[in-house]
Amino acid sequence: MQEKVEVQPILSMNSVEVLYDNVMMAIKGVSVQVPKGEMIALLGSNGAGKSTTLKAISGLLKAERGRVSRGEIKFEGTDITGMLAQNRVEMGICHVIEGRRVFEHLTPDENLTAAAPKGMSRSVLNAEKEKIYNYFPRLAERRNSLAGYLSGGEQQMLAIGRALVTQPSLLMLDEPSLGLAPFLVAEIFGILQKINQEEGMSVLLVEQNALAALEIVSEGYLIENGRVVMNGTAEALKSNSDIQEFYLGGGEGTDFHNVKHYSRRKRWLS
Amino acid sequence: MDLVFLAELAINGALTGLLYSLFAIGLVLIYKASSVPNLAQGGLTMVGAYVVVALASDVGLPLWLAIPLGAVFMFALGFGIERVALRRLAGRPVVMILMLTLGLDIFLRGVTLAIWGGTSRSMDLGVSYEPLFLGDIFISRIHLVGAGVAIGLFVAFMIFFRSRSGIKLRAIADDYMASWSVGISVERGVGLSWALASVVAVAAGVIWGEIQGVDQALSLLLLKGLTVAVLGGLDSILGAVVAGIILGIIENVGSDFLDPLVGGGSRELIVAAVLILTVMIRPHGLFGRHDIERV
Ligand SMILES: Nc1ncnc2c1ncn2[C@@H]1O[C@H](COP(=O)(O)OP(=O)(O)OP(=O)(O)O)[C@@H](O)[C@H]1O
Ligand SMILES: [Mg+2]
Repeated sequence: MQEKVEVQPILSMNSVEVLYDNVMMAIKGVSVQVPKGEMIALLGSNGAGKSTTLKAISGLLKAERGRVSRGEIKFEGTDITGMLAQNRVEMGICHVIEGRRVFEHLTPDENLTAAAPKGMSRSVLNAEKEKIYNYFPRLAERRNSLAGYLSGGEQQMLAIGRALVTQPSLLMLDEPSLGLAPFLVAEIFGILQKINQEEGMSVLLVEQNALAALEIVSEGYLIENGRVVMNGTAEALKSNSDIQEFYLGGGEGTDFHNVKHYSRRKRWLS
Repeated sequence: MDLVFLAELAINGALTGLLYSLFAIGLVLIYKASSVPNLAQGGLTMVGAYVVVALASDVGLPLWLAIPLGAVFMFALGFGIERVALRRLAGRPVVMILMLTLGLDIFLRGVTLAIWGGTSRSMDLGVSYEPLFLGDIFISRIHLVGAGVAIGLFVAFMIFFRSRSGIKLRAIADDYMASWSVGISVERGVGLSWALASVVAVAAGVIWGEIQGVDQALSLLLLKGLTVAVLGGLDSILGAVVAGIILGIIENVGSDFLDPLVGGGSRELIVAAVLILTVMIRPHGLFGRHDIERV
């Protein structure tokens, strides 16, 4: 692991353990820092504990009978470990959950309205919507049809747009590339990068598609079996031989849904 | 058959049906936010009626004050039910929540029986019993008033569900987890839907209390209300209104034909047939939302 030189990170998670149903330990002492304004990736194979890590940060664990049993999570210097999810959203943390969970029976426009924070005036909301439609012009075209009938890519864009309405300073995304064609992944990641640069929004990106993720982030963490097993700059990770072997695969565009079974016998596990 | 008589049956059937709609709107409100048919809506309707009667007869308040106060009380009760009972069950299987609402219905019936006893009390709205004549057709005034209330609530809720709070409630009905993820307070939303349904229960309780007296039988309105809600599509307010009218007409006209043949009791048979056939043939009802098939 390498040292980082930085001011106070926007998010710092220290030795966090999560228990589901009081018995199942899904992450075992994970520490992750997100420096302000940076894009950070969290990589790892199925069941590694990536989603659990995000849920611990966003407070969504509670809905799945999980809890942080050790460690602490600080956002902008404040301890948020036991806070309600809705208070964390108000503070500026928004979590785009796994699986493009848009509100299917609402239109894209209503999806955006639903996420409006308490007290946001109509004019501010409309300005937010216009900004989001500018980032995602495909959504603008379909703003009044049912969200359930949008294509997978459009739904992912809507899920991201819906999160942006909450005006987050830390946006967390759980596998936004899952099941999308490579050109769509490139389009969505490009937009994320643009928002990050234009608005200084920090991003924590969970991905199995390491190849695409390492192209846009500055730094990455690798999680296996509930532990961080590697952490470094995107360049360092891309040139690491283990990562190359197990995560970047041989061929172009291979993501490791196809090669995940290899990761079961990785040597850094023991 | 006499056409005027048929028209009279149909019109009065439609008006009675709208009174079923009045009840069913409460069911739909809760279904829209939590995807659970509220089996306690009958109990709530009865409690709403008792509270208004208590405020009017026992405390001696005028009705124009007793009804809004009853509505405020029931609004708070609705929120309270979410806070005390439902919150613990969030995220559990729907069957558990359904059983909880059944338990709540039994509880509300027990409480009203303990406090007010079994004898029927009367709700005196002061609406004249003189029938109204529309040409040769005879119409009940109280049914007309109740139908007007049902339509008024329908319009109010159509507007509400397009407002920001209404959209948030619909979002909650779609996906709890996604709602939490963008900071929507699911608990407060579900509480609000119960509170609104409890206010609707006051309206239904007052009208039905005037028609059939305030007693335990009010809670049995659940059966027809549920049939209307299912036929309309459980999550559609428009569906509840249209289905109420349809069921009311079928019931009134149909029973007039069938009663002489089967010797009475055909109303219940017609309601049962509508409920069973709807579930078998068109489970989403007339206007219910379909589960969207994702490709
Ligand atoms: N709600 C839950 N209850 C019990 N165990 C859970 C729950 N959610 C996740 N787990 C377990 O916790 C571990 C980590 O799961 P998590 O979903 O965080 O993995 P992940 O890295 O996101 O995997 P994937 O790439 O498949 O999404 C797994 O062993 C999983 O079975
Ligand atoms: Mg996951």
